[in-house]
Amino acid sequence: MAFAEAVLRIEDLRTYFHTDAGVVRAVNGVTLSVAEGETLAIVGESGSGKSVTGLTIMRLLARTPGRVEGGSIHFRARNGKVVNLLDLSEDRMAELRGRDIAMIFQDPMSSLNPVFSVGDQIAESIRIHHRATRQEARTRAIDLLRQVGITDPESRVDAYPHQLSGGMRQRVMIAIALACDPKLLIADEPTTALDVTIQAQIIALLKALQRERNMAMIFVTHDLKLVEEIADQVAVMYASQIVEQGPTTEILARPRHPYTRALLDCTPHGARHRRLSPIPGSLPNPIAPPQGCRFHPRCRFAKEKCVQTDPLLEPVSADHVTRCIRWDEIEL
Amino acid sequence: MTAAFRAGTPLTAEREDIALPLVSARGLTKDFGGDRGLFGRAETPLRAVAEVSLDIARGEVLGVVGESGSGKSTLGRLLLRLIEPTAGSITFDGHDVSAMVPRDLRRFRRHMQMIFQDPYASLNARMTVGDALIESLMLHRELRRSEAKDAAASLLSKVGLTREHLGRFPRAFSGGQRQRVAIARALASQPGFIVADEPVSALDVSIQAEVINLLQDLQRELGLSLMFISHDLSVVEVMADRVMVLYLGRVMETAPTEALFGRPAHPYTAILMQAAPGAKRQGERLLATGEIPSPRNPPSGCVFRTRCPFAIAACGEGGRPALREIAPGHFKACIRDDIALSQ
Repeated sequence: MAFAEAVLRIEDLRTYFHTDAGVVRAVNGVTLSVAEGETLAIVGESGSGKSVTGLTIMRLLARTPGRVEGGSIHFRARNGKVVNLLDLSEDRMAELRGRDIAMIFQDPMSSLNPVFSVGDQIAESIRIHHRATRQEARTRAIDLLRQVGITDPESRVDAYPHQLSGGMRQRVMIAIALACDPKLLIADEPTTALDVTIQAQIIALLKALQRERNMAMIFVTHDLKLVEEIADQVAVMYASQIVEQGPTTEILARPRHPYTRALLDCTPHGARHRRLSPIPGSLPNPIAPPQGCRFHPRCRFAKEKCVQTDPLLEPVSADHVTRCIRWDEIEL
Repeated sequence: MTAAFRAGTPLTAEREDIALPLVSARGLTKDFGGDRGLFGRAETPLRAVAEVSLDIARGEVLGVVGESGSGKSTLGRLLLRLIEPTAGSITFDGHDVSAMVPRDLRRFRRHMQMIFQDPYASLNARMTVGDALIESLMLHRELRRSEAKDAAASLLSKVGLTREHLGRFPRAFSGGQRQRVAIARALASQPGFIVADEPVSALDVSIQAEVINLLQDLQRELGLSLMFISHDLSVVEVMADRVMVLYLGRVMETAPTEALFGRPAHPYTAILMQAAPGAKRQGERLLATGEIPSPRNPPSGCVFRTRCPFAIAACGEGGRPALREIAPGHFKACIRDDIALSQ
């Protein structure tokens, strides 16, 4: 993808956590980019580094043992200037955060303040970044609530988070995130805690709002079937690294990494009493991941050379890469 | 009570009335709240489960699906009498479980076990896995400690763990291993019936498949009857012989698995299927409108009508729609027979 149209471009990002037990290289050399109007899904299981990637972009690791130890995160700001988010002062980052880049999380209840009405919380987000009177901000908050599909926004604007259902709270979070018309939205498992009929509504809403605003979106999820619904591009993460990346339709139809194939195979999709194919073994120890290819202990195609070589991302086609040295000699 | 289910006596051994369901419920209802408060003002009770009847045959897997507030977990707990029903009856192998006095019920418990979503919460963190299993084996099967230890080791090997795991504490296990331990513990009393409440929902997908395969193997090998509760239709489709769809405590539809997934007859079932991400569908996705109503104040008539794209005036009138048999073993509670639903 040409850099000209990228809203965000991450290169060789490394985020490490220094714990008593040792160093966890949670994000270990991640490179990716996302363009205007495009959705990139980062998919992976627990501990793959997908969420830490999102938090690193937002620079929300300050109060954790997490440190960025390398790489760059170039972001095209509203004025067209490209900045490396990792070089910005905390004040400058705070200006960008919420205005140019917004984030929503799995659990809206822990992101909303229980003692303020939802209207106050949306209005606060508007008034931090824009000059607006109290009344203007309230009018805008009601308008945003309507846009995210909340019925009777004139009275709901005064509701407190506990008075709303889980689905409605997530709609409020989306309203807050979109209050300043960000160029990039990072959504970390935004529908995982929701019922499936509500999930379908929220996904439809996110897609519609993104299309309207031509916003870029990074969608972090563990659910490959959700990736199929929402993403143009997908990056598959395993043990802190991207193992495969490319257009969603191509990756899901013709995966070129054994882990992606295995992930697709173990996902149940229909047919009674069909035998599922689990991935043998367990997720790797984050402090001491396996030598060579991190997936080799669980990979049915692994050979001696997979243990000895640290695989690099190799191009399969113009926009499809895989971190497997055997990709062109195996049948997936 | 009779001696028929005295601890140590297998209930399901060589009976001739094999066609009789192992577990039956009739008109099972559970209200929460509604007690008269200090000042005599009774609050409206929340009807979590409303007049649910079901039969589970020996060796049959009944899948129960529904969203939050559907009553699926409450139904599972009612069947095991972990909570007391407000109305209705439960029988297990011909015994009236709902009428048992606590002493008899305690002894009876070994025949019916439960597996929960979060195995960590259901295992005692201060007890080794071996001790937890041995405790259950000594209690339910009246084994001596030395016998119980061997039986515990063989249970672990049944669930894909080894004798070496006996001395370990729950925290030393991964999520998938812990769920294996929870399964071993449920099997310790040699139950005929297990309620599995979202047993794989907290697991990563690569691990989830292992636990599903294990449950399937054990269920078949031991001829267990299983109630498999899940919000995830794709998992239920793999596991279940028959599926029951609940919404706000009421049965919307129940059918053999192939029939339900191939020809859903209730709009709610069709919507649930289409809402699942990645579902193949023709044309526009059917969406439920709005939010799930409060179970404290359910809509009149059909409880789903406020979110149903096919609702007409008649859906709100004339009481709850009856569960009607539309094909052998296929029941739906919807008055509209004039709509075409595709999966």
